[in-house]
Amino acid sequence: MCFKVSWAANIRTRTVAKFVTSLIFIIMLFGMGNPASAHGYLLRAIPEDRAILERAPIRLQYWFSEDLEPTFSSLKLRDQTGQVIAEGSVSPDNEALLTLRVPPDLPDGAYIVELRPAFASDGHAVAESRVFFVGSEIGGFNSKAANGRAAPLEILWRTITLTSTMLLFGLFSLYAGVLVPAWGSANYPAGLLPPRMMTRLSWMVGLALLVCFSGNILALIQQTMTFFNVNFINALNENLWSVVRIGSRFGDVWNIRMLFLVIVAGMFAAALYFRDEQPETVRAFWTANAWMMALVIGTWSVVSHAAGSQVLPWLGIAVDWLHGIGVGFWVGGLAALVLVLPIALKPYSDDQRRLALLAALRRFSRFAAASVVIVIASGLYSASNWIYTPSELTETRFGGALLLKLLLVGGLLLLGALHHIALHPARYARFSGLTTSIGQFATTLRLEVLLAVGVLIAVGQLSATPVPAPQITGQEAAAPTAIQQINGLEVTLTLTPGGPGINTYDTLITRDGQPVDDLDVRLRMIHPSEDWRSPLEEAEFVDSGLYVTAGAEIDAPGEWWSQINIIDNEMTYRLAFDWDIDAQAAVIQSRLPSPVTVAALLGVLAAVGGVIYPSIQAFYRKLNLNAANVTLVIGAIVASLIFVIGGFVTLQQTQLGYRADINPPPQIINTVLPDQVSLQRGQNLYESSCNGWQSAPDLDALRQRLPTVRDEDLFAAVRDGWRSLPPCREDLSENERWDIVNYLRTLEPIA
Amino acid sequence: MSFQYVLAHGSLGAYDELIFLSVSIIFFVMMGVSWVISRNTPQPPSDTPIEPHSHDQDSVPNHFPLE
Repeated sequence: MCFKVSWAANIRTRTVAKFVTSLIFIIMLFGMGNPASAHGYLLRAIPEDRAILERAPIRLQYWFSEDLEPTFSSLKLRDQTGQVIAEGSVSPDNEALLTLRVPPDLPDGAYIVELRPAFASDGHAVAESRVFFVGSEIGGFNSKAANGRAAPLEILWRTITLTSTMLLFGLFSLYAGVLVPAWGSANYPAGLLPPRMMTRLSWMVGLALLVCFSGNILALIQQTMTFFNVNFINALNENLWSVVRIGSRFGDVWNIRMLFLVIVAGMFAAALYFRDEQPETVRAFWTANAWMMALVIGTWSVVSHAAGSQVLPWLGIAVDWLHGIGVGFWVGGLAALVLVLPIALKPYSDDQRRLALLAALRRFSRFAAASVVIVIASGLYSASNWIYTPSELTETRFGGALLLKLLLVGGLLLLGALHHIALHPARYARFSGLTTSIGQFATTLRLEVLLAVGVLIAVGQLSATPVPAPQITGQEAAAPTAIQQINGLEVTLTLTPGGPGINTYDTLITRDGQPVDDLDVRLRMIHPSEDWRSPLEEAEFVDSGLYVTAGAEIDAPGEWWSQINIIDNEMTYRLAFDWDIDAQAAVIQSRLPSPVTVAALLGVLAAVGGVIYPSIQAFYRKLNLNAANVTLVIGAIVASLIFVIGGFVTLQQTQLGYRADINPPPQIINTVLPDQVSLQRGQNLYESSCNGWQSAPDLDALRQRLPTVRDEDLFAAVRDGWRSLPPCREDLSENERWDIVNYLRTLEPIA
Repeated sequence: MSFQYVLAHGSLGAYDELIFLSVSIIFFVMMGVSWVISRNTPQPPSDTPIEPHSHDQDSVPNHFPLE
């Protein structure tokens, strides 16, 4: 059977024209930036959605599970007529927080909050709205959740770039690993393959590079449309794409990828240029390009869903990369092989054709089998990061997209298995009935390629679809709460969830069982073991004696204090709460691998080990293990390990050193909780034991420094004096001095 | 000193960038090594394909230099 495919020149031209026209139409059809949901999630919102407040909040705050792109994230507050009355942005102190200062004296009514966070890890943006009411609830106003569908234009560019990237990697690796070993001949020094083959391969590489560059440019434009919420034309006309390219993480990785592709194109061009003068460089450039394309695949992994995984994201990226490499070998190599077979086997017929085909297919089959094993193992690991229960496969869009992909991959595997059986008829004699239907592989190979294209489209859909929302809170631990009384007020403070990370601080104030409103309530968190205190944050009045603030001050488990200042009719009351913060209660932003994930990871390691073991074995047999070589290798390995470990240690030391410079560990730790008892004792001791302080000219200077000075410095001042402030009485005990320190804190000027 | 994390949402801090750079360097080195090896590896023989002597379809040559 002959593989001849003949193309009339006018048919080819019309086909190309139709393709280009369709592509432009599709791009224009998907003209508007349509943000999909991302894998980042809202962790805390103040006020909550559909909250009914007695008066308008001072500030809106929305904490997310990962950092946002400050330039492309926004927060808008509209009144019930739709008019924008305030705009917010990402907090400069916390890039996972969207915050907005509410104008004072907002009237009663309904208010709509438009959130548009753009997540930094993969550039996906979310558009959703929340509602709150001041006074009473008003009908007809509803919040709008994020659109759960993938953006069509994103599916398009992901499919284009994925297909071309895999084809390029498949072409170069097929050339180096299959075509040259199977068909290479010294008669053709330029690439070791006949000119007709090298020409066909070169055309394929050229076209694939063109499509890959185009797809990447389309990716940048679509991302610009999403970030700025503009259409295709505006994204181009107003040069907004350049803002994304240099001002976002998506742009950073995009730049790196384009650089790699330029290097690939450069080496390909060099191979063409030098094929006559230095033909031996052609094979070298093509082989080197296989490594470069592997790096290009890696740049997709670092902005994939794996980058936002809660489970060891770097491991997720590495496994995703393995998955991409495996797909590149298998699918990309298969597509490349099918495209070159007609031209390669053109001079042959009958048995010669069969022998030539089998020489290549045998080699490719070994590569493909190894790739399939790695693809399956790595795919299971990646899926285990996002699919926790079987129901998520059928009840979520991501699960549906994954099922579709698995179905198509199943078909691909079946065809691959049939080919493998047909290539070894003696080994699989009992399946001879199946293999006779395959014939000369022409039809089934093309079917396999068509299925592979379907898989790539399904992968484009999958990678543009949001992953299911994971569990994000430590639901097992109860939120710590404590109650104290002062001057007839009962103050209940609750930390939610009460672990390291983001917490809400809810202060409920009552008198004789009735809520007390309109107080000035401020809160700070203190970490005594590090002698660190946060600024005093204003707790906003919500409703019925409830005052709320939130933050990420608690960054470690252990002992923490909360200091609350309550100002009521010019009287200031100070309370202190002592907490033992439990690490288990943290808002989960990272998790340990589940047993399924561990099993999948072991599967990946086994697959990789199984694939490379024959090569290692063959390499080992060739080794000349004389003493000098072994010493050299051991020395190189040890030196590399020392270099790597030393690098990590140096980096860690530098980071710790920076942290120590900013907030050095205290020489002496305040162990006395600044509660009412300590403050009263401290005041008495200050007045009786620190003679001369009240009249000293530097007392005011000390008061001004109180927001920034540490407790140990105040302790030293009490013990040794400071400037014109003499030392307090010498026979004071350590705890008594701490009482004085706690009292001195109350002299801090109120902002 | 603050690091502009590019990758993996900064989950490993500065190690994010270190890992990425290290992997890229390793691949660039491998690219260079493969380039040198490819230039110095002996070329495959240019002999003509072997005529099959039997119909044993499993006994196919691993190397079939194309014309």
